[in-house]
Amino acid sequence: MSEIRQIAIYGKGGIGKSTTTQNLTAGLVEHGKKVMVVGCDPKADSTRLLLGGLAQKTVLDTIREEGEDIELDRIMKEGFGGTKCVESGGPEPGVGCAGRGIITSINMLENLGAYTDELDYVFYDVLGDVVCGGFAMPIREGKAKEIYIVASGEMMALYAANNISKGIQRYARTGGVRLGGIICNSRNVDRELDLLRAFAKELGTKLLYFVPRDNIVQHAEINKKTVIEYKPESHQAQEYRNLAQAVIDNKDFVIPTPMTQERLEEILMEYGMMELADDYKI
Amino acid sequence: MAKLLDKQRYKCALGAMQSVQAIQRALPILHSGPGCAQKLCESVGSSGYFSPNIFPCTSVNEKDVVFGGVKKLDSTIENALKVIDADLYVVLTGCIPEIVGDDSEEVVSRFADSRKPVIYAPTAGFKGNNYKGHEQVIDAIVNQYLKKTDKKQKGLVNIWADVPYQDLFWLGNIREIEKLVSELGLIPNTIFGYQRGIGQINKIPEAEFNLLISPWVGVSSMKNMERKLGIPFLHYKTLPIGATETSRFLRTVGEYAGVDKEITEEVIRKKEDYYYYLIERYADIFLENRVINKQFTVVSDAQYVLGITKFLVNDLGLIPAKQFVVDDTPNKYREEIKEEFKNLNYGIKADVSFETDGYKIHEEIKNHDYHGYPLVLGGYYEKEVTEKLKGNFLNISYPVQDKVVLDNFYAGYAGGIRLIEDIYTVAVSRFN
Repeated sequence: MSEIRQIAIYGKGGIGKSTTTQNLTAGLVEHGKKVMVVGCDPKADSTRLLLGGLAQKTVLDTIREEGEDIELDRIMKEGFGGTKCVESGGPEPGVGCAGRGIITSINMLENLGAYTDELDYVFYDVLGDVVCGGFAMPIREGKAKEIYIVASGEMMALYAANNISKGIQRYARTGGVRLGGIICNSRNVDRELDLLRAFAKELGTKLLYFVPRDNIVQHAEINKKTVIEYKPESHQAQEYRNLAQAVIDNKDFVIPTPMTQERLEEILMEYGMMELADDYKI
Repeated sequence: MAKLLDKQRYKCALGAMQSVQAIQRALPILHSGPGCAQKLCESVGSSGYFSPNIFPCTSVNEKDVVFGGVKKLDSTIENALKVIDADLYVVLTGCIPEIVGDDSEEVVSRFADSRKPVIYAPTAGFKGNNYKGHEQVIDAIVNQYLKKTDKKQKGLVNIWADVPYQDLFWLGNIREIEKLVSELGLIPNTIFGYQRGIGQINKIPEAEFNLLISPWVGVSSMKNMERKLGIPFLHYKTLPIGATETSRFLRTVGEYAGVDKEITEEVIRKKEDYYYYLIERYADIFLENRVINKQFTVVSDAQYVLGITKFLVNDLGLIPAKQFVVDDTPNKYREEIKEEFKNLNYGIKADVSFETDGYKIHEEIKNHDYHGYPLVLGGYYEKEVTEKLKGNFLNISYPVQDKVVLDNFYAGYAGGIRLIEDIYTVAVSRFN
């Protein structure tokens, strides 16, 4: 029995982490892989496409209402192709500590024996930036060893990706966590592919896959489905299958080398972005 | 790199629960983990009206961290109001709710119309030590409970000194200072200790001025009261111990308050006469012991290091070795406190170090040539090192382990005499 590949997906808020993760998961399922997706976002929308709606009661909601003495099937639902879906959830907006909430729910998953040997992949879909220790929980020792950052050619996405790399670098020094690459969720920005390649190279990693922009993704989302389930024959479904294959085949795991703000801006300048977007401010 | 702090002499800001406890019929309501209160409360000198064992506490757990602890705080305050008969309820927050971001202030504001006042002091341990926490409690009373008034009582003066319970002699000291101030014809008002509670708090805004006796603790609270209540303050940095400093203290206060000079001088004359009468009768003992204890070191918070150093130099003519201030005095006050140590009689200056690490302090004591047996006044931590040096040791500040203090004190003329008694009791005992 091979070790479970535990993978954390990070990236700027709104970049398409959840969409990419779920479509990628669907691709892996088609390859016959057993996958668990753990949503680490208080909004609890990381498994919507796999489950066909926001049907999931979150770990934290369950703990809040029923206490900690619960069974695994109360918090884990089966989605598309037998994927196991868990939403960590979080406190109401503006109160409590969502970071601690993630730590609590991942600990609970472990205690309840969610990490079974039959699993091939576990994905952690983590919200936005790594704002505090709690959001780094999935990449602590003994959890995810692979990280993919979802980005696009937009400056703020790259800024966030660079920032996340700093967090990865910190944990990589003492633990086994490594960056597996950048997944581009294209926004059709000029010279996006070149920019992302250059950015990934500077980080010491590679552009794992370039997912082109296609409105079919939005259509599938409206229908609460992954593209692979919604339109299996579509071109975009094949893109996600290719992404899944790229993840399966990936063997390049590195400690990232995050760049300074100046260097990041230099790269953006080189690929013509700064002139195009004079109003960009950080 | 992580540092080991050896022999710490203070607690975290939540230790301010002892300041609340010192106000009669005031009740701390703790929004903290269950261990904080247990660790911070002390059995020595507690109770009064409420024992720390019954302080209401939200005892926050992991669930409260994740979802926020405000509901629990709300119900804890509500029930405390129902079952505990207090005059003032002070919500104190520990680290956990402050890190999580609980809006405790908003919760407390829901009780604005309750029949007894409920106020809130943020006392997260990471904000500082219990000296700072003490200031937070005073600020909370001023900002959330008291109102500015034009009604002033002639001669009324609020007196503030160092931190109750942290200073073992706090009760005796503040009572003695009250007595001295009232001999000038002024009316002292204090809020800590026996028969001091909400009635005295209510009188704070009517005072003509605040008198702060402390090197630094409470300075920011005095400034706050000046802004919020329009009460000016006199900052007297040195805890007056013995005749030299106490007479200077009375002259300073008398002059500030516009007391007739003759009245002040008459009070001083009477006090000094008796003081020197007592000293004269034992002068030979002091003289004999000069051979034994040539130099002294005080290891304590700023108020005692300054107060005792001045006393031992100015009144007893002893020579200071290095002095150690262990209360983590904020940097902005350090220079002016250092200046005070240059201002001793006979042109003597004392070297002073702001040091919280007991190991370093002990190394310096061990390596200093005291030209004889050292006299060390400090916390119980200094007992062993002093004994190894065959010195004389007196436990005068936190932690105090070798004496019971009910209302003994070192402040004023009488306090100076008490301190002489204690020091020379140790000195004469070694030959018995």
